[in-house]
Amino acid sequence: MQALGKNGIPTKIVVIDDIGIWFRYNGRGYCTFQKEERGIIVISIHNVSKSYHQQNIAYQAISNVTLNVNKGEIHGIIGASGAGKSTLLRLMNLLEVPDAGEVLINNQELTKLRGRSLRKARQTIGMIFQHFNLVANKTVYNNVLVSLELANYPKKDRRARVTECLKFVGLETHADKYPAQLSGGQKQRVAIARALANQPEVLLCDEPTSALDPNTTAEILEVLQTINQQLGVTIVIVSHEMEVIKSICNRVSVMEKGQIFDTVNIMPKGFTTPDKNPQWFVDQLTKAGDLHHA
Amino acid sequence: MPDIIVQYQTEIWQSIEETFVMVGFSILAAIILGLPVGTFLFLCRKGQLLENRVVFSILNLFVNIVRSFPFLLFVVFLIPFTRLIVGTAIGTMAATIPLSIMAIAYYSRLVEQALLDVPKGVIEAATAMGASILEIIYKFILVEARAGLVLGLTTSTISFISYSTIMGVVGGGGIGDFAIRYGYQRFETELMIYMIIIMLVFVQIIQFTGATIARKIDKR
Repeated sequence: MQALGKNGIPTKIVVIDDIGIWFRYNGRGYCTFQKEERGIIVISIHNVSKSYHQQNIAYQAISNVTLNVNKGEIHGIIGASGAGKSTLLRLMNLLEVPDAGEVLINNQELTKLRGRSLRKARQTIGMIFQHFNLVANKTVYNNVLVSLELANYPKKDRRARVTECLKFVGLETHADKYPAQLSGGQKQRVAIARALANQPEVLLCDEPTSALDPNTTAEILEVLQTINQQLGVTIVIVSHEMEVIKSICNRVSVMEKGQIFDTVNIMPKGFTTPDKNPQWFVDQLTKAGDLHHA
Repeated sequence: MPDIIVQYQTEIWQSIEETFVMVGFSILAAIILGLPVGTFLFLCRKGQLLENRVVFSILNLFVNIVRSFPFLLFVVFLIPFTRLIVGTAIGTMAATIPLSIMAIAYYSRLVEQALLDVPKGVIEAATAMGASILEIIYKFILVEARAGLVLGLTTSTISFISYSTIMGVVGGGGIGDFAIRYGYQRFETELMIYMIIIMLVFVQIIQFTGATIARKIDKR
């Protein structure tokens, strides 16, 4: 067993749970001695660089980044806007093609794949987006179905699989609706069902809650956590919202100017499902006031 | 029924049939060739999936040249080409050639515009799901843009009717030609007005049908 995290010695056991044994680490976070599957690397980004050209001016979005994401973890990526968080995530399924370096998913070098083999590899990597990116002219059912069609999923099993995925996100009764008839949180859950349909090992989330209100944010985070715990899907989540990252991630990379400033292990502190009751909002506001006094 | 219409009913029916043939072929050409040309125009644009400056420039130039021709001149200019394809430069079938080429150019531009309305994120999601270019076109882009494509075809069809009225110069016939020859040149003003009303009714029906279909299939 090996402690993850940077050259510090864990000092005090804080808690033992089904993820691992958690220690206080250098007074600023937590690290863990992790159980069995931890430590198997699912996503490996090696010396990757990416620049954009805008009116002949090169802009270095990612410079020489190396990052490993372990199987089963919820890996957060946080940083100021323009730090390169989204670009780093989009490099993981080659939506952005790196100028240099390698991207490996399950030891398969994505950066060497072209055409059909790249498409096949992408079918095993789920992705969800800030603005959901559903096909507005397809029903909820068909939005999930298309993902199976693309992967040549056996025809006779498709209906059952779509229903199963919709059930998982709690939308089986909405199968015949169109995205425009759904709330933001429901749309994101359809997107999650679509991403899960082909049983991916990895789920990439690009600002998945940034277009949602606090209620639905908690709802989506709960779904993501369930996916991680029940299905064992490795999740990478990009967000600028500190609360989101703190609530479910167990490892977080902080980015600055296209580089990883630091990667820390934290203990996910969970999320409070906010009440729809207006009093909840009042309580939250006054609590913030207390903090100010402290 | 006004006497004058009864008197000319054979000619009227024939001219309506000629208009239908000319416009029908134009619509076919627009769908079979204009739709792919427009899709390529869209896909070859800067920043799109098949970004290709050479192909885009060639298609763009074709569309611009055809559309900037005064249509009457275009018909005349195309006579040698029409003769090559149909064997004659005179008659309704011959008239369909310049009309169809204009239809391809006209509709492809509207297709390009309709596809530009598809959110980039949808194409991105399709790519992330491992869709091929063909799958992205059929299962995502065209599905998302279908209302715009129908409205574009409606607008195009109405324009084709208008363009078809001058096909008299190459003996193409049609309602417009009939209205000019009998109504205007033979001073049967009443007949001309009836012909205009017939065209107006056609245009109304087409516009209403197109708009209704577009509204029904648009779930955005």
